[in-house]
Amino acid sequence: MNVIETKGLSKRYRSTWALRDFTMAIPAGHVAALVGPNGAGKTTLLNLVVGLAAPSVGTVTVLGGEPAGSPAALDDIAFVAQDAPLYKNLPVADMLRLTSYLNRRFDDGYARERLSELGIPLKRKAGKLSGGQQAQLALTLALARRPRLLVLDEPLANLDPLARHDFMATVLAAAAETGEGEVGGMSVVLSSHVLAELERVADYLILVSGGQVQVVGEVDGLLARHRVLTGPAGAADRIARRLPVVYVRRAGAQAHLLVRTSGPDEPVPPGWEAHPVSLEELVLSYLREPGAAALPGPARTQKAEPMEVTR
Amino acid sequence: MTTRSTAGPSYRDTRIRPVPWRRLAWVSWRQYRLSAAGLVAFLGVLALYLLIMGLRVRGAYDAAAACSPAAGGPHCQDAFNLFDTRYAATAEVSAFVLNAVPMLAGVFAGAPVLARELEAGTFRFAWTQGAGRTRWALARLALPAVTVTAAAAAFSQLFGWFYYPLFATRDSAFAPQYFQLTGIAFAAWTLAAFAIGALAGVLIRRVVPAMAAAMAAWAGLLLAAVLYLRRHYETPLIAHNSGRGAPGIAPWVISQWWTGPNGKTVTSENEMIAILNHLRRGYAEWTVYQPAARYWHFQLIEAGWLLALALLLIAATIWLVRRRAG
Amino acid sequence: MYSCSMDIDKEVRPADGRGGAEGAPPARSESPIEFRLDAGSGVPTYLQVVHQVEHALRLGYLKPGDQLPKVRDVVSSLAINPNTVLKAYKELETKGLALGRPGQGTFVQATLSQVTLPELATLRRSLLAWLGTADAAGLDEDGIVALFTSALRDFFERRGGQPGGRGTAGSQSEGVA
Repeated sequence: MNVIETKGLSKRYRSTWALRDFTMAIPAGHVAALVGPNGAGKTTLLNLVVGLAAPSVGTVTVLGGEPAGSPAALDDIAFVAQDAPLYKNLPVADMLRLTSYLNRRFDDGYARERLSELGIPLKRKAGKLSGGQQAQLALTLALARRPRLLVLDEPLANLDPLARHDFMATVLAAAAETGEGEVGGMSVVLSSHVLAELERVADYLILVSGGQVQVVGEVDGLLARHRVLTGPAGAADRIARRLPVVYVRRAGAQAHLLVRTSGPDEPVPPGWEAHPVSLEELVLSYLREPGAAALPGPARTQKAEPMEVTR
Repeated sequence: MTTRSTAGPSYRDTRIRPVPWRRLAWVSWRQYRLSAAGLVAFLGVLALYLLIMGLRVRGAYDAAAACSPAAGGPHCQDAFNLFDTRYAATAEVSAFVLNAVPMLAGVFAGAPVLARELEAGTFRFAWTQGAGRTRWALARLALPAVTVTAAAAAFSQLFGWFYYPLFATRDSAFAPQYFQLTGIAFAAWTLAAFAIGALAGVLIRRVVPAMAAAMAAWAGLLLAAVLYLRRHYETPLIAHNSGRGAPGIAPWVISQWWTGPNGKTVTSENEMIAILNHLRRGYAEWTVYQPAARYWHFQLIEAGWLLALALLLIAATIWLVRRRAG
Repeated sequence: MYSCSMDIDKEVRPADGRGGAEGAPPARSESPIEFRLDAGSGVPTYLQVVHQVEHALRLGYLKPGDQLPKVRDVVSSLAINPNTVLKAYKELETKGLALGRPGQGTFVQATLSQVTLPELATLRRSLLAWLGTADAAGLDEDGIVALFTSALRDFFERRGGQPGGRGTAGSQSEGVA
């Protein structure tokens, strides 16, 4: 089942297109990271997925074909928007009650246990909590709804390192608990423009740039199918003719090429060294080369970079 | 460490049952509580004033009315004059000020409901919960609408009681400055203010500007009603030479003019003075008026179109909530 | 680099005997070990987990029958993707070192057979001889390390998924320096 599927999704605000012809599918059972620079369209995409915005062109369906924003979708998708919006003048206990009353399904016991573990007092007004506590409260409310899909928009911005760690630990523990890979388990989609800790956390990547999708795929697969070849700068073009090159860094004598290969067993060209590539380096290279893309599906004729067909 | 309270397929309810209204009502009330308290305080203070003033007014009136001979000799006339001068000004000013109450109560109850959600960004929480936007918006609007209208209805009854003696002696409840404070019009104007506030809230998305815009719109509507619309609810009657203007008790005099022997309308001051001193003959007095008996009919008409307008605006508000992109 | 001593060092306390640090929280899992993550090492996370299990086996922190940390607990303390832990545990299963019991957890199955002391001594001697040759050829310490690491990687890449390394000392893999 695809937990999110978009076909030709485009969204226009006034005269600018925030998303253009966005086609991708995220399978269930993953923690997917939506990555891209500011203004790339991540928030727009997430708003479309949770039903806060409607597409200008194209479709977006969730949880195996439900229209985004439909009652079935709202029921099973929990969203924590940027800056974790809460009713600041309501005490935590009332936020719990309010959320439980606005949903068909709410695990009150879990929420209370979580909040006591976190040391968040029930009587305090939500606005008086620290930034990290507010984020954790918003997350607890979302998780207590037992969603099949948890959507987080830039959840770690404005959080100190400890709060970030605790937040992600909570998200991942909840994903682990519900059984990754099962249909009834919880999938996670989170957007971020911070790359550093992503590799540990995400096992599926969607790279968005300029309102378009650039890279989609499982992190392990992507890392296995890319490597950096280091060798003589003069021979770089010869390599580029044989292998799809994503990004080149060239000096006088030496060049580094980020190439896409068919797998880890692909032989290294003689005279060249092959290095594995980290997720951060992969993402940065693609972002620096907007014409490059790694998408499943038929080849796009562009810059002599044939697309690989996944699986 | 933590176990789910229930597990397995029974936990996932395959039927989509809508969230019950009782729960939505609690949500609506919880977020309206403070507003409601403010409203009660506001109307309470005014009600207290009306109560105190009302008791004094009625006391003085009863004292003047008890004066005999009832035929109204100079002594009794003086008593009435005293009553008049002592309380008339206060009453008029009160009434004038109270005209703003429907606007204040309605807009303060209606505008922040959606405007605050949009301004603070909490709509991104509220509209992604399982209950869905429509039910949520209906619940959030219905509760304040009903309570503020009911409070206004009660308040206008109190005003009627307070103003009764003055209506009996000098002014007509039908008069433009009092009509919307009495009967059922007061409640209807409050509901209209609420609806205008709610729509302004969802259009403007900021609390204070929405309130300001709603108040301006409401004031404009009231002026339009008072100055133009109301007199046409039914075709006004015209009295000719009735001797004391319009016939009957406490009619609503819309306009009055005199014509001279030549049929032309009298405009000069000298002629006016002469007429008033009954020194000239051949002059006719014309009065355009609505008879007092039509008061309730007019109340129903006014309340009727205000209610229809309020419902239309609230429907538009809900439609915009459904349509609004985040 | 590896410590040449393969003795089970009973003096080094396993994870749940943390009496040394005052006020240290009690171990949450029933597993004798806990994982740590070296974020800057460049080694994939799941491999770090695999290596730490193998290392614990070698040093005696883990014995057959012990339970590996629950996926949820690892994820909760390290903030890593659950699939990563699952992948590591699956790898350990493939190597025959662990076995998952549905609903209960993953348990240690076998132990890493020790390389006998005489074998070790022979290996050490030949290694020293090679080092002597490398040094004579002009390679400095970093050069030796680089050459060794790259050859090591090539060796195991070529070996790929050969089952020959299952449960034996040959399951030492790249990157643990």
